[in-house]
Amino acid sequence: MVENRPLANLASHLILIVGVAIVAFPVYLALVASSSDPTTIANGQLGLLPEGHLFENYWKVLFEGTERSTKQPMIVPLFNSLVMALVISIGKISISLISAFAIIYFRFPFRHTAFWVIFLTLMLPVEVRIYPTYKIVADLGLLDTYAGLTIPLIASATATLLFRQFFMTVPDELLEASKIDGAGPWKFFKDTLLPLSMTSVAAMFVIQFIYGWNQYLWPLLITTRDDMQTIVIGIQKMLYVTDALTEWQLAMATTILAMLPPVVVVVAMQKLFVRGLTETEK
Amino acid sequence: MAEVRLTSVGKIYSGAVPAVKDITFSVPDGGFCVLVGPSGCGKSTLLRMIAGLETITMGEIRISDRVVNTVEPMDRDIAMVFQNYALYPHMSVYDNMAYGLRNRKTPEPEISARVAEAARILELEPYLERRPRELSGGQRQRVAMGRAIVRQPQVFLFDEPLSNLDAKLRGAMRVEIKKLQRQLGVTSIYVTHDQLEAMTLADQLVVMNQGVVEQIGEPLSLYERPETVFVAQFIGAPPMNMIDLAPGGGGPKGLDGSSELPVPASGARLGIRPEHLVVDEDGRPVPTRPGDIRLELAVDAVEAVGAETYIHGRLGGDGLMITAREHGKMLLPPGTSRVFTARRENLHLFDAATGRRVDI
Repeated sequence: MVENRPLANLASHLILIVGVAIVAFPVYLALVASSSDPTTIANGQLGLLPEGHLFENYWKVLFEGTERSTKQPMIVPLFNSLVMALVISIGKISISLISAFAIIYFRFPFRHTAFWVIFLTLMLPVEVRIYPTYKIVADLGLLDTYAGLTIPLIASATATLLFRQFFMTVPDELLEASKIDGAGPWKFFKDTLLPLSMTSVAAMFVIQFIYGWNQYLWPLLITTRDDMQTIVIGIQKMLYVTDALTEWQLAMATTILAMLPPVVVVVAMQKLFVRGLTETEK
Repeated sequence: MAEVRLTSVGKIYSGAVPAVKDITFSVPDGGFCVLVGPSGCGKSTLLRMIAGLETITMGEIRISDRVVNTVEPMDRDIAMVFQNYALYPHMSVYDNMAYGLRNRKTPEPEISARVAEAARILELEPYLERRPRELSGGQRQRVAMGRAIVRQPQVFLFDEPLSNLDAKLRGAMRVEIKKLQRQLGVTSIYVTHDQLEAMTLADQLVVMNQGVVEQIGEPLSLYERPETVFVAQFIGAPPMNMIDLAPGGGGPKGLDGSSELPVPASGARLGIRPEHLVVDEDGRPVPTRPGDIRLELAVDAVEAVGAETYIHGRLGGDGLMITAREHGKMLLPPGTSRVFTARRENLHLFDAATGRRVDI
């Protein structure tokens, strides 16, 4: 349906622009706030145009920390969040690829049972099993470690389910051709299945990276030391100060910083998505 | 180079009816054997058993005197061309052909020499760096062939390799496959449901139906002397006309001369190929000899395709539909009644109960 009605065009664009403005304006405001000096915000005089303290504020929040609340340089929680998000996404993808491979391509007893048990974990996210999981992690002495932060979040079925569905669409002839070409299971996985799954892997990586990056409850529970904090917790702690004013310009700078890595991941992986969509491979 | 020998080979899927039963035949070194039959007759299963992709439940398969029943596909020294080509989508044409050799630890200079040679034979040289999706159907098919050739296997296996191509390309590729097989002299086993493909490619034709072999032989001998009703109707296009005869030799209305035939006590089916029915032209009857059959047909439809004409008519005016094939143009007006003659030596007679050939 190709229509050329200028009025309808204008109206639809107007609606879209308003929508984008509603989403983008708070982000813009955070950026403006992160470039102002404390007194402007404290006096309620925050304008709509950026001010001159941008680099000063970011330098301070990254390497010196706030003066009144946490007093921690935010580079450490940023690094922790990065490690956590990367380990969770890579760990989840690796485990899911291998388990989906086993479920689809190998005949072993209780294969279906194994799949349903994995499937069941979908109904048990961390929030539901948080007490037993905490107990296990604590008993293993993993509090305040990267292992404790990440391993309990790696175990879940979403990615296994996705890869299983994808593997089922790969024609059997490819496996048979590999067999005749002398490739064992591992070579088939590495040389054929993995390259074919690259677009699914990219999609999974984006989803899991953001999932890992935005974790709040779990890191809040199991990290006590300041040097194991994640960035989301860092922002939260920054906001509550007793007997003093919140340093909003620094909090906003941290927020902007915390938004950047997921944005970078989405933008970088988008290319792979588009490639996967345009170059259809059967 | 190898002989492939199957002895009482059978396949039963868990608990179900046998897919393939008691198959015995051998393909000589350098021979081109075609397995042909309708879909579901077990021909692909049999080929996959020879390839090692299906387990063998009964009997034994030998490739150049080595029993390969439990040998892995990669160790059977075979190469297979699949119906949908099964090219690795993420690899270039070169890598697709080189993959099997690399897995066998062939030295890289030899790989590139062999791939170059295969590319030359198959005229794929300009496409070596392309991905399969950038190729046409015919080119993909040739890459699949190339992947088989570079391996220099003892046996080529083809699983309906041409069925995804359009009719014109299929004809051209058929000629190429035959030429290539002669040139390389590699023992080949080829599965198809297309009887024309089977007739033109095979040195040895194996007609299968419902998991059993109906007849084995040279294509023309199967055409000229089908041993069963199934083979008679499967080989040849348009298919052979079949007329049921009563034990005494009596046939339907419009059929004359059948009482001379040695019809067995259980009754018989009389087979006449369309091209063996000669029409009486303009009131000049074809001179008959004792034992010839005469059919009176009411012409229903006439299809003139240039070099020949297909005439469809009803036996005795309203009975069985019979097809005749005449040389040149023969524009009989529909509705007219004509007499067709078939020579005794061109008749095929089958026992109605067993479906097996009865000598005339």
